[in-house]
Order: sequence, then structure tokens, then C-alpha cells
Amino acid sequence: MKAGLYVHVPFCITRCGYCDFNTYAGLEELRLPYVEALVREADLARPGWPDARFVSVFLGGGTPTTLPIGQMVRLLDHLRTMLDVSPDAEVTSEANPDTVDVAYLAGLRAAGVTRLSLGLQSFDAGVLRALERLHSAEAAVTAFEAARSAGFDDVNLDLIYGAAGETLASWRRTLERTVALSPEHVSAYALTIEPATPLGRKVAAGVVPAPDPDTQADMYAAACEVLGEAGYEHYEVSNWALPGRRCLHNLGYWEGRPYLGLGAGAHSFAGDRRWWNVRPPQQYLETVARGLLPVGDEERLDADQRRLERLLLGLRLVDGVPESWLLAPERADMFVEEGLAERRNGRLALTDRGMFLANELVTDLAG
Amino acid sequence: MPTTPLSLIRNFCIVAHIDHGKSTLADRFLELTHAVAERQMREQYLDRMDLERERGITIKAQAVRLRYAPAPDPGRASGGRQGGGERAAREFELNLIDTPGHVDFTYEVSRSLAACEGAILLVDAAQGIEAQTLANFHLARDAGLVIVPAVNKIDLAQAAVPETVRELAELVGCEETDVLRVSAKSGAGVTELLDAVIERVPPPSGERDAPLRALIFDSSYDPYRGVIAYLRVSDGKLGGRARIRFMSTGRAYEAEEVGVFAPDAVPIDELAAGDVGYLVTGVKDVRQAKVGDTITRDDRPAAEALPGYREPKPMVWSGLYPAEGGDYSMLRDALDKLRLSDASLAYEPESSLALGFGFRCGFLGLLHMEIVKERLEREFDLELIATSPNVEFRVARNGGAEILSVHNPSEMPVPGTYDWVEEPFVLATVITPSAYLGPVMELCQSRRGTLGDMKYLSPERAELHYLLPLADIIFDFFDQLKSRTRGYASLDYEHWGYERSDLVRVDILLQGEPVDAFSAVVPRDRAYQYGRALTERLRELIPRQLFEVAIQAAIGSRVIARETVRAKRKDVLAKCYGGDITRKRKLLERQKEGKRRMRRVGRVDVPQEAFIAALRVETSAGSSPGGKR
Repeated sequence: MKAGLYVHVPFCITRCGYCDFNTYAGLEELRLPYVEALVREADLARPGWPDARFVSVFLGGGTPTTLPIGQMVRLLDHLRTMLDVSPDAEVTSEANPDTVDVAYLAGLRAAGVTRLSLGLQSFDAGVLRALERLHSAEAAVTAFEAARSAGFDDVNLDLIYGAAGETLASWRRTLERTVALSPEHVSAYALTIEPATPLGRKVAAGVVPAPDPDTQADMYAAACEVLGEAGYEHYEVSNWALPGRRCLHNLGYWEGRPYLGLGAGAHSFAGDRRWWNVRPPQQYLETVARGLLPVGDEERLDADQRRLERLLLGLRLVDGVPESWLLAPERADMFVEEGLAERRNGRLALTDRGMFLANELVTDLAG
Repeated sequence: MPTTPLSLIRNFCIVAHIDHGKSTLADRFLELTHAVAERQMREQYLDRMDLERERGITIKAQAVRLRYAPAPDPGRASGGRQGGGERAAREFELNLIDTPGHVDFTYEVSRSLAACEGAILLVDAAQGIEAQTLANFHLARDAGLVIVPAVNKIDLAQAAVPETVRELAELVGCEETDVLRVSAKSGAGVTELLDAVIERVPPPSGERDAPLRALIFDSSYDPYRGVIAYLRVSDGKLGGRARIRFMSTGRAYEAEEVGVFAPDAVPIDELAAGDVGYLVTGVKDVRQAKVGDTITRDDRPAAEALPGYREPKPMVWSGLYPAEGGDYSMLRDALDKLRLSDASLAYEPESSLALGFGFRCGFLGLLHMEIVKERLEREFDLELIATSPNVEFRVARNGGAEILSVHNPSEMPVPGTYDWVEEPFVLATVITPSAYLGPVMELCQSRRGTLGDMKYLSPERAELHYLLPLADIIFDFFDQLKSRTRGYASLDYEHWGYERSDLVRVDILLQGEPVDAFSAVVPRDRAYQYGRALTERLRELIPRQLFEVAIQAAIGSRVIARETVRAKRKDVLAKCYGGDITRKRKLLERQKEGKRRMRRVGRVDVPQEAFIAALRVETSAGSSPGGKR
């Protein structure tokens, strides 16, 4: 059974205003015990995954690269020892431009990381400030070049569009400068305001304007255009890749493959069960230290939920879903007429325009 | 409980403009006569429904029996019929019939008046005579009641007691010394007022040995006991277990229980001529116990029924639809039940392309409509969509030989297929400080009003009579009147009849498809403005959809206004992987649920608020009707 392995590293130097992930600043002293706990958790989880062959590993966060390189090496070594990680597995690490240099990145390569995902976000200094990112655009370029020097031939650049003050012209410049670096993969996310974040509170208070959906739609169209012309395939709502460079790990989520999540707040999924670890790192450490799986809660998906999930995930992808998954395929007729979806080889797939309306279409099709 | 001699019975009510203190005065009467234990006393005791207390208005008339022995103080007698000595020895039975204070419920007021021999006409000393004071006074006098004038709130700092006493004496045609001065709040003068009721209001007349005749002046429905009829016995006696007959239907039932409200229901052995009380028959169908019908004994029937009431006439119509399509039969049951305690409610099934199956309901007024809707939702756990209310139109064909009554604007025939249209008019009475005469007249004119006459009550206050289309006053007229007169003007109206008007039907089309629930009949010269306002409002309320939505207003095939809801372009979860999936799925489940609650008209999803908003578009200030007047 092919599966994915996710490892959550909840440490950040500072927390960005828009981020609602399970991350913490100022807990650096927990880094070493945390790596111990991850290894211990892998050991505890192993019996539950007897037939799993892990074809992808993803170190996310947080900022995984806040871990000292020695710990990174140790962590990956142990994971490979305890779990059946395929030798040619895609191993991705997220990284912030200001946490890495050539030496560190070379260390990552040596530890077996094959793919780097750099949080670049924007080339516009104003946007970086609005997002409360510490690094400068120049630092991001430096980090990218360092990755190349360290031997990474599979690099993703993460971009965010639609922050307050960003114009379509500025976004196009970000896209063009991104393309000029020739990364293998680009993720471009429309900024989403999460209520329980500093930015969310500012928007609620009217201090910062909420992103305008039409402007974001224009920016999305610009991304489709600029990246498409540069040879990137738009294979998921927010993801573009050169041929053969799609992110295997994330494809696993969208295609409904099982995954094991290690670390504070990490989610796992197998069969009809999804479960997630306790979120606070301290509680996570204590539970694992007692030799217990740190599961916080779980859910069993019923048939309706599974159908909705399969549609909401599958329709994010360029190849869409088999029409046989739809209870009422004729409901898609209107979307096809409006140019929001296409029928190809017995499958229903959303067009670029349709993908940006996926919620609307999925809720209709799942009805 | 022995039967009280007729000479010791007084049946009376309190009539007043709203907020002049009627319910508070009733509370004082309850206290003074020890009808309610002190610890059970609460404000507006007689206003039984939650809704009444919340809105501060009285909807259902209540009858309550009070027992009262006046203090033996001959010095206080002010020349009444009976000497103080006799009075002191006796305990009187006072039946206080509470009456609604809103213009929508004038019909119920007149019903209640028929059960009384006297009325306290209560006027707020700080406000003076108001439009409803006049209306109620005329109703009471026309019903042959003895009027006991009283000025309330004499302890308010801004009370103008001598002026109000003078106005009231002039209206009633009595001496100023005959006007009682009370503070219902503090209780000052309340005993004297009750004494005056005993002295001035005549005891009921009636033959206790004659065949039974009792008038049903109201009814309510109890799920366990069936119909409860409120009665005023005119002749004869009615005991429990008697076999009674409804004179209009001829059907006979067993009287299961008779009793009085004191103020809670207390069973007694017998109700006799002059009494006011209730009757439980076990009748499950309220149509068998019609308000206005006469009850007699089956074994000794009366020859002739008492004069009844005219049927209440619904003046305002609206479609009520269940928000969840499947609740239609629940709505039907709820309406059937509600009608048991609200004889003035009319309804007929109808269906709408946009809203599915529902009922076209007739109400006495907009407040009545809101109360019915709230009661249906609260007491029967329903969620309802109400279409914009309208009046009844009469469409004349063949030179008037054929008249078609239209209760639903979408059924209004197209121009050219009829000769003329009529709509209901009311005769409105407005009392206003003279300083605001200009703004008041401007308002009435802008509502298609015609000035009848005008007179000065005093140099500072004027009384105006306007003939106005009902359709123009049911929405925000009252709020507008209040805001243009800083709250000083008051309004009352009576129905006048139907008059011809130049009206047209304005339809709303979504994507070229007419939406029946949005159709309205409006004056031709306002059609353009109306179409513009409604299409603009709908543009704000209809969420962006996958395609552009055209909203048009049209008269027949002629489009008079157009708005566009631009197509939605973004509705996506930017990031969706890893553990996020549970949360994201829940987000979409909520979105799906939200969509399910919208109405799909053709291809367009229309939120329920849009149907409600159409109610408000005719109001320039966006103010809500209803509430305390």
C-alpha cells in the first residue's frame, strides 16, 4: 500500500500575521526533545502501518529548517529505519529563506531531502511587510541560488497573492521574477483571511481591507497565463509544475491515498478513518514520553462525507474525477455550458476558471 | 358561589390610545380587588401571550371577574344612583373586559364593547386626546355604553391635567368635575375610579328566568379541552352539564364546564344573565363555536338569536410559505389550529413557482400579519417566508358587471383585459400639533390622500380627516407621520370602501423568468420608481452566482428597470492538503446547507431574505411596521 508520511515541525522564528497553522515562536528549547518524540512516535505508529510503503515524505510546519542540521539528519535516518520509506521516495522539506544557507542546504541534501519548498511569497517588499514576512525579496533569491548550489534540482517556490496594497501589476512582476528563476514547481495561493489570526482580527476591525475576490480572480488568471506561457502545467488549483515535477506527496492527499502524520497536531488518514494528534507541543511531548500515541481525536467518514471529500479533492486536479463518481452527472451540464468544466474520457474536469469556483461547483455536484 | 343579583353586576371595559396606561390600570384593579395574590402579580397581568408582553400590546380581549366592596364612605359618593349605605354593605361583581389597543384590532374592540354597559375612557395627561381616543370613544358611544372619562398619569412632570380634563369633558359632553384623575402607576385615584364605575355604569338588564341567550364575543382553543368560548349571558342561566345549542348551526353539545376568569379560569356552577364568563364544550372545531353566535339551551331554546357581528374582513394579504418545502402540511395544521383562537385570520392554499406550496393569508393589518407569522413560528416551530403584503384589488370587467377579487398581485390580469381596478380606501384621522400641519399634509398628499375636513381641538392641536388608499398607509405611513411630527401626531383609521385607482402590475424577472412572489400592484405613476428600488435591493441581496444574473422590472412586456448581479469569480479553498481536509469538508458542508436554504428560481439561487426584503422596498426610510403604536 502506497502511503505518504508527513512530519510536522511546529517551530517558527516569528509567527506571520496570516498563518493559522499549528506553529509557535519561542519554543526553540523544545527542538531536541521534539525530534526525540517524533522518532518515538514513528516507532509507536509503526504497528498500525504494516503494509505501508511510504513513497513520499514531507517535512512541513512551521519551519522545519529551524531544526539544527544534525537533528534533521538524525530524524530522517531514524524514520527510514523504522518505516518502509521507498529508496526513491520524494522527500520534501519546507524552508524559509532566512533560515537556510548553502551549508545547511547541502546538509539537507545529504540527509536525503530531494525537494525543497521555499516560502518566497512575493517579490514586492510592501506585500512581504503586509504578510509580516521577515525576509526580503533579495534573501529569497539568495536562498534559491543557495539551493541550486547545494544541488537541489527540484525546488518549489511558494507565492501568496491578494494582500493589502498588492496591485495586479506588482503581482505580474512577482510572477515574472519567479519564472526567471526557473524553479521546477510553483505554488500560488490566494491570500485567505483566517479569523483566528492577527490579520483576521485586523480585517474584522476594519484596519486592513479584506482581499477583493475579483482582484484575486484577476491575479489567478495572470498566474495561469504567465506560468502557462513559461511551460508550467496547472495541475491543481494553486499548483503549477514543469512536466514530471508535480509534487507526489500533495497528489497523495488529492487522490485520497493514506497518509501518516507525525508531530503536534498532525493528521493521519487510512481507510475511512482520519485522526489527528494533540496540538500543543508540550502535551504532544508528554504523551509520547509516556509511550502513548498522541492522538487527540478522530473521525469516521460516512459514505456522504467520503463522496464529498473525493469530489472536493479530486476536482482540484487538472484531470478531475470519473463521471461515475457523480450522483447526478447532468448537474454538470450547466458548468460545461458556462465553460467552467469539461468532459474528457469519461471524466469531469474543471477549467482554470472553474477551479477558482471549485467550492460552488463541488457543493452543487455533491448535492 | 351564589348567583349575584343583577343590580350588583357591572360589565365594563377600558378604552384608550396605546400607551395611555390601560394595562397598568387593569393591574391596579387586580390588586385593589385582591384578584391576584401579591407575589403572583406581574406587569400587564392580563396580557396572556408572551408576544403581547414583549410588544406591549394587547391582542386578545380578556374578561376578568373582580369582586369589590366599596368602602363605606358616603362622603365620597358623588351623586350616583345608589346611596352609600346600601353600597357599603354589598360586594359587587365587576367584569372587566380588556380590549386591544391597536388599529388592526378595532374589530375585536367593538366585539368586546358589546359585552359591556360602560367604558372607562382613559387619556394620558401628558399626551391629551389622540386619534384612537376619538375612535374608541365613538365606538363605545355608538355601542350605547356609559362613558367614565379619566385622565391618567397625573403625577408626570409634563402632565397637563387641567387642559386634558377640559378636552376630555368637551369630547364626552360632561362637566369637568365628572372627569376622574388617576395615576395608574402609583394607584392614586384608582379606588375613586372604580367607585365611579359602580355609580355610573348601569347594571346589566336581562331576564334570568327567560330562555338562555349568551353571546360568544371571543373564543380560544385549548389543545386538551377544545374550544373555549367567552360569553356574555343576556338572558337565562347556563350551568355545567346543560345541553346547549349553537343557534346559527343548530348543533347541540354538552356544556362541560362554565366559569369565570378571576383572572385565571375558575369553574363555577352557573352563569346567569348579566354575567361574563367562559364555556368549555369539548367542541374541537372552532367553526362550530363562531364568534358572534348565540348559545341557547337545547331543551328550552330561545326564539331569537342576539344580534351578532359582521365577519371580520381581512384587509392585508400575504403568501406564507414554509422555508422548508416539506413543511407544507405542518403549516396547514398550524393555520387550522391558530384560527381557533384568531377568527379574523383567513387563508387559502396557493402555489408559487418560486416558493412552492403555501397559503395566501388575509390579515386585519400588518401588525396582525407579523403577530400571526411569529405565532406560527414560535408555537408551531415553523420557519416561514412571507411575501410582500398587499391589499385586495377588485378588477372590473364588462363595465363593472363582472368583478374579480385579486388577493395575489401575480394574479392581476394584464392591462387591456379589464375596464378598471379598485382598491380599498380608509378614512384616516390624524391629530397633530398645529406646528406640524404642513409636514402632515405633505405626507398625506404624497400617499395619494384627499383632505376631507380639518378642525382645531385647541389653538395648538388640529384634527384632520384624510381619505387614503389602504395600500399607502399599511407600510411605513405611521412611522413617517411620527418622524415628521417628532412623535406628536397620532393616527387612527376606519375602512371606507373601494374606489377606482390607476394601478399596474409590476413583475420582477430573473434571467428573463418572471418570479411570481415578487409581483406587485402599484400606482402607475410610481411603477418606475418602484421597479428601480426593488431591482436595486435585489441586486444587493442576491448573491453572486456562477453566471451573470439579470434582474428586470417589467410592466407587461415592457422592461422599466434593470440591474445585474455580476458573475462570481472566486469561491475556492486556496490551500487544501494534509490535516486541513476535515475542516475544509465541514466548510463545504456548511456552504451546501446554506445553498439548500435558498430558493432556486430557474437557475438562480435566491436567498429567503430577498423575499422578505421585497416587503421593505416600498418604505423610503426602511423602517419596520408593527410594534407599539
